[in-house]
Amino acid sequence: MERPSFTDLPTEILEAIFLNLDPHSLISVSKTTKRVKQLTADAPLVWRHLCRTQFTTWDSRHDIAAKFAGPLSDVDWRAIYISKTNIERNTRKLLNHIVATQHERIRCVNEIADYGYDAKETLLKEFACPDDAEDVLARRYYANAVLERIHREIAIKVWKDLHSGKDVPIERALGAYDVFARVGEDVDIDVVSDDITQLANGLLEGHPSFRDWSPRTKASTLASYLRGQGYNGVPDTSYRALRNSFIGLVLRSPTHESLPLISVAIYCAVARRVGLDARPCGFLFHVYTLIYAPKNYNLDGEYKPTSFSELDYMYLDPFRSSTEVRQGDLQRVLRNMGVPSGEHRSFLSDTNTREMVLRTARNVMNSVQTIRDTEVGMSGIQASWLNSYPDMDNAFYATIWAMLLLGPADDASDLGATTIRRRQYLPYLLEHFQTHFPWDVTLLSRYIIPMFHNQFEGHRLSQFVQSMHQVDAMPKSVVNRSEYTNKVVFRVGQLFQHKRYGYEGVVTGWDVACDAGEDWIQNMDVDKLPNGRNQAFYHVLVCDKSVRYVAAENIQPVNPKTRPSEAIMKLAGRHFKRWDDEQHLFISNVRDEYPRD
Amino acid sequence: MAATTTTSDASLIAITTSDGILMHVERPVAERSILIKNLLEDLGGEAPAEAIPIPNVNEAVMKKVVEWCGHHRNDPAASQDDDSDSRKKSTDIDEWDQKFMQVDQEMLFEIILAANYLDIKALLDVGCKTVANMIKGKSPDEIRKTFNIQNDFTPEEEEQIRRENEWAEDR
Repeated sequence: MERPSFTDLPTEILEAIFLNLDPHSLISVSKTTKRVKQLTADAPLVWRHLCRTQFTTWDSRHDIAAKFAGPLSDVDWRAIYISKTNIERNTRKLLNHIVATQHERIRCVNEIADYGYDAKETLLKEFACPDDAEDVLARRYYANAVLERIHREIAIKVWKDLHSGKDVPIERALGAYDVFARVGEDVDIDVVSDDITQLANGLLEGHPSFRDWSPRTKASTLASYLRGQGYNGVPDTSYRALRNSFIGLVLRSPTHESLPLISVAIYCAVARRVGLDARPCGFLFHVYTLIYAPKNYNLDGEYKPTSFSELDYMYLDPFRSSTEVRQGDLQRVLRNMGVPSGEHRSFLSDTNTREMVLRTARNVMNSVQTIRDTEVGMSGIQASWLNSYPDMDNAFYATIWAMLLLGPADDASDLGATTIRRRQYLPYLLEHFQTHFPWDVTLLSRYIIPMFHNQFEGHRLSQFVQSMHQVDAMPKSVVNRSEYTNKVVFRVGQLFQHKRYGYEGVVTGWDVACDAGEDWIQNMDVDKLPNGRNQAFYHVLVCDKSVRYVAAENIQPVNPKTRPSEAIMKLAGRHFKRWDDEQHLFISNVRDEYPRD
Repeated sequence: MAATTTTSDASLIAITTSDGILMHVERPVAERSILIKNLLEDLGGEAPAEAIPIPNVNEAVMKKVVEWCGHHRNDPAASQDDDSDSRKKSTDIDEWDQKFMQVDQEMLFEIILAANYLDIKALLDVGCKTVANMIKGKSPDEIRKTFNIQNDFTPEEEEQIRRENEWAEDR
């Protein structure tokens, strides 16, 4: 018998061999013979396989799950693979540019961001660059910054959909807070949705005849099931913890500690999947669940013709227990709190998802305020943001966006009032994004400016956006060292302690003399400093995330054994490549501006 | 010395290879082959009276296959729904298998064909991965040389292929 050669192998075996190849080798082997090319480069199966194995994050525009589940021939998998490869390559190229220079940074960040989740896996990989990478701090900082920017836009779109009246399930509307304030492989609105589905499946597996039961039995079974899964609210001691307001975190945390609102949201979301009509009820200082019977039935499942608007209902408090809450008890609470009976109805009826998102915004603000209040109790400027998860500044920023997008109901009869209420959030938003995320300028033009169409603010914001893009498009003007700068003793990258306030900071730039406006100079009593306004002044980044302007006489270099704190290390990437132990200095990444530092 | 009853004799399965050689294989080893396993099950668990003919595999190859099955006799059975398309690419082959597969190319292909015929999925996988590793990182010319295959593209077709693959070039 003739001994077999490669080309004698049957098609299915060759296919099995090729599925073990990396893309590069596949293309290489496809160039060998016509038959092999047919089985590789010309085979949709191979490209689908590559799409499935080489990529993990897909932008929602692909609707990738449906494509993978659908017939092979419906999709041009080769084209998708090529486009994903190009996105990966461009993302890397743009990120390298972002890390290398300040010039056009905003443009490049947004160019990546427009790839959405298609860029996510590349950014996560770049974020995981080795500790000894030459530009480790900058690379991690900007990979994370771009990813956060992508996440924020996804969350904003969810709230915008909600605002425009689309049916947004409650877990997605609240999951948007997770996506806004957190990044990571498993932070995703679909993940929140899947977690809810898993809970629902678990319930149905445990109770196969669940769907035949009466609404009352279903309601209490679901409540006990969730409690059995560990969803038992939160003890008073950690009630205000920021994490309790993030549904995605609650679903994934081992303790599932949550605020009542989140307990109710999880309850309602699971109920929706198992055919039970449960809606949130925004009570005073608490959130309950309202369970409704289907039309023409009572809660015990008996046929009972009802008028079209009145459904049979009951209350539950999934945060505390699985037993029914009597309406009379709720009314008594309201009376005891002095709520006029005419207003009881608004506290006892069901509320919508939009209200739950806004209420979450208030809960998050309260939690952030609690952290800030604790800060006040401590001496000096601290990096307390490091101890909160999700990041408290991100969380706060999320609430401003939610309030702006959803806050005032668009009341056609009173457009003026809407604008005024929106207007009040603007300064917070502008301040926050300018300090922390200047690249969000595109979010401003896409989602905020249209709200103020034909109004003074809209016009002013447009000009502001335009000037930011102009500045971004220009190379930084160079600040050179010369005989005139001799008194600028410290270099960009100098780690120091503020002589009077004690905080830790790092020099990010300097002027030979105070270059602030006259108002600032007066306000800060600069002329009362021993060396006055004509000493060198330094732009500094402080461990509490603030950016300050400090007179040379207040800069106290830290002793050579002190290493930068964890907080400063996390923030430093915005201006620096890495920390250098030998030079005891952050290595500047702003040489396009300060070439000699 | 106490007589220990071994069941090995009773559970030996006889097979004849394509070149007419009679071989005896322990039943659990032979049952790594789904083809043989199903055949034995069809006989209702009784040891077959006659040797099972394996017309597609010669003695030399069968010896290798039996050696592999003997080494892997206690491996957990592969799951049935292992769709090759969803399988993660993993070209790491365990050390014993790597050594086992250090044979000439023809023998490698023969083992793969035998594994395919006898329905021994894990062996087929190892074989395919071994061939894949021989392709990896090579240029088309090097691959042709490795497997002794003829380039049957015209220059025009080669130019066409070059253009089709421009996107993949490092830029």
